[in-house]
Formats: sequence, C-alpha cells, structure tokens
Amino acid sequence: MKTNMPLSKPIRRLISGTEQMLDTEITLLRKPEADPGGTLVDVYTYNIDKNIIIFPASYIGLLKDFIIAKQCTRLLIKGAAARTDGYRVCSFNADSVAAGMRQIYLDALKDEAKKEKKLPVKKLLEMLFLLYRKFHGDISELPWNPIVNARIYHRMEQLRKTQLYILLKDGKQDMDEMEDMMEVLPRRYFVLDKSLFYARDLYLAKVLPADKLMPVVNIPQMKKFNHLEVKEMLTTRWTHTAWYQSKVFGDTMLTIMEKHLNVDWGAENSIEYYAGLYRTGVGLTDALLGYMSMKDWFIWEKPQHLLAAEENMAGYEQGALKRLFGDLLEDPADQRGRT
Amino acid sequence: MPESEAARYLKRAEHYLKQTKYREALAAVEQALRLEPENAAAWSLRAAVKIETERFAEAVADCGKALAIDPNHADAWSKKALALYQLEQYVPALAAATRAVSLNANDGPAWYIRGICLEELGKSDEAEVAFAKSLELEIILDIREETRRIRK
Repeated sequence: MKTNMPLSKPIRRLISGTEQMLDTEITLLRKPEADPGGTLVDVYTYNIDKNIIIFPASYIGLLKDFIIAKQCTRLLIKGAAARTDGYRVCSFNADSVAAGMRQIYLDALKDEAKKEKKLPVKKLLEMLFLLYRKFHGDISELPWNPIVNARIYHRMEQLRKTQLYILLKDGKQDMDEMEDMMEVLPRRYFVLDKSLFYARDLYLAKVLPADKLMPVVNIPQMKKFNHLEVKEMLTTRWTHTAWYQSKVFGDTMLTIMEKHLNVDWGAENSIEYYAGLYRTGVGLTDALLGYMSMKDWFIWEKPQHLLAAEENMAGYEQGALKRLFGDLLEDPADQRGRT
Repeated sequence: MPESEAARYLKRAEHYLKQTKYREALAAVEQALRLEPENAAAWSLRAAVKIETERFAEAVADCGKALAIDPNHADAWSKKALALYQLEQYVPALAAATRAVSLNANDGPAWYIRGICLEELGKSDEAEVAFAKSLELEIILDIREETRRIRK
C-alpha cells in the first residue's frame, strides 16, 4: 500500500488483506475533481502493474474510508474471478448494439405515435444509442452495488453511518437522473431505469436494515406510494404514472434480487468466497437482463473486449442505424463533405 | 484595507495545495514567509505542504514555529496532530488533535485524527464519538460541495 494519508485501523487491515489475498498492490490517490463515488483503476481491466483507488480530495475522513472499502471489495470480487473462473464483464459488439437499438426504436415508435408533440427524427435517432449506453452503464454497475454494500455492512460495522449517508444520497441522485427527459424518453425505458434503482434501494433497506433507504420514504417522487390502500390504487390516476409503474416493476425486480442474493454476507474472507460473489453478480445481471428483455443486448467478454468496444462505439452506432434504416439514412461522411 | 503581498502568496499557495501542485504551493508559501516570518498561518500552511510531501518531522517543526507565534492557532494544532500521527506518535498526536478541536470544534480532519489515535490507543468508545463528530462535519461539507457542483 502506498499512501501518506491517515486511515482508520480497519481500513488499513482491509487494504493489506486485499493486497495479500490477490498478491497485488493498491495505491490511494486524491484528486480535486474525482467522482464522488470514487474510481477503481485495476490491473484486471487495464494493462497496469498496480491498482489505483481515486477519490475526491475533499474526502478526508470516513467518507474516504467508505470509498476505499467499496473499491477494495470490488477489487476482491474482480481479482477472485480472475484467479478462478475468469473475469468477464458485460460488453457489446455490432450485433448486440443493433439488437438493443432496434428494440429501443420499436418502443420509441409506439410511444411517439401517441404523442401530440413528436420528437424530431434527428433527436430520436440520437436517443437510441444514448439509451442503449445508459442501460449498459446501469447493468454493469447496479447488480454489484447491493453485493458490495451488503458485504461492507456486515464486515465493517464502524462504517455503517457513513454508508447510510452515501446510499441515501446516491438513491436520490439516481432517481433524479433523466427526470427532465421523462416526457421525451420511451416510457418503458424510463420506468425500467427507475425500477432498477428502486429495487436496489429497497433490497438494501431490508439488508442493512434501514427504513430511511426505502424509496417510498427517501425518494420525494415516490413518497405518495407509501401505505397505499387498494381502493386508492384502483381509482387514482397516478397509478398510470411512470413513477408508480417504476414501483410496480421495481417490486418484481426486488424479488429477483432476493432470489439471487442468497449469500452469507458475514463469511470469512477467501478467494473462493469472493469468486462466489462474482458468480452471484453474474447470475443477478443475467436475471435482470432477462426480466427487461435485454438478453441479446450485451455479451459477457474479457474487460479488454469492452475497452476495444468503447473505442469502436461510434462505428457500432452507425452500423446499427444502417441496419435499421438502410439507405434511408444519410452517411455522416457525406454530411460532413457537404458542410 | 488592501490585501498584503504575503496574503496574496498565501492564497496562491492554498490554491496550489488544493490542486495537489505541491512544488508550486511550497514556493508560494516560502515567498510569504520571506515577507512575513512571524505569520503563524504561513508556517501552518507550510506544514500542510510538507505533510503532503511526506516530510512529517519537518511539518512538526513548522507547526512548532506557528504555535510559538500563536499558541492558539487551531490549524497548526490540527496539522501537528496529523504529522505526529504519521510519525506513529499517537499520544502527542492525540493531545494535539484534542487541542485543535477545543479551539475549533468544526475541524473535521482533527476529529478524525483524534478518532484514529484513540483507536490506536485502544480507546474504541471514545474513538467512536470522535468519528461520529468527524462524519457529521464531513457530511455538511459534502452537502455544500454537492450544491456547488449542481449549480455549476
């Protein structure tokens, strides 16, 4: 471990334990503009010789400790997978991008047909890949979040208050995201995105346990769905709103989460244990993708495949549009030539 | 009242320190000290730069100079606590952190250092109280930072 910053005893133990178990090195790095959730740059994804955990320079106490705990746990899961069955991530290729964008387009058409104010075609086409990418981000991150948080809760008691603060904050931010685009996006995708976060927060509210984390308590847009009566559900117009639908889908996703996250969160550290957590995460990802009818949207591949896919993103997007619209679509190169 | 030249150097040093540009921060703070060698804040800031560059014993000495000028300089006590902690001198580090929080109860880092020193000395109940206070202050700062980020 290479750091000149003060760390609490359990965090020092966690870092050195992680380094020993994975036979690797961890460096801590403070950056003024780092992501508030911290960033892990790891040897299993990138061609580097040591892992770096980056967090905001303004985090000096327990907020920093929590980020370190979270990223170390993620590193343990990745490292254990790499040492056993192999570490794979949700990636994409030309076919999977085309499948995803096609489905989003069909759903968008259905929504657009009902709208008085239609979305301009150019915006609609741009939205297809943006939404595809949004779900790639969600599904790459979300299933691992409850796993990491449940593990930290059971193994690092002294971080519980910090963890609750961060989860409450993240829950609100995730729910606020895209709200200003609610009327523009196809309803199905807005609802599925919010359902994922709803299910995650409700799962953690039960596991931690912390009632404050329940979306119907923490999320202003969902507060009115707390203590609903059947009569209200049948008669009130808001049962047709995106937020209510997010709650309904989210409740089903919670059942999926609970079924897959049947884990002893307090077990002793071992490579086998973390490899098991990796398999659990993969299983949960597949189950959620299946529930959202997105199974052919992504493929499990080595992290290097994803890095290469991200470099080819623009090409995949253009290729998918070409498959959808053929020659109806202007070639961007021609457009550039004319301007 | 117009800002003195030393104060301008100190502001610049603080800015560089936030940007993790330690060499530039050190140069600026030393300019300030050349102009005002009796400036306790400047000695304390130099200690902060030295801590970041892992020169902990020198940082303790700088804090000593700041405290000789102003024995109630809360930030110098806080930096001294941090430097002593890094030198694994937990008892004097705890004393310095305690003094820092008695002078400025809103010093989150000092509460955190107090917590980890108490933890090292096996006083876990007291450590928990210090950590709770540190977290409370850190959350206030985080909410402010978040608001700033959203506005931006």
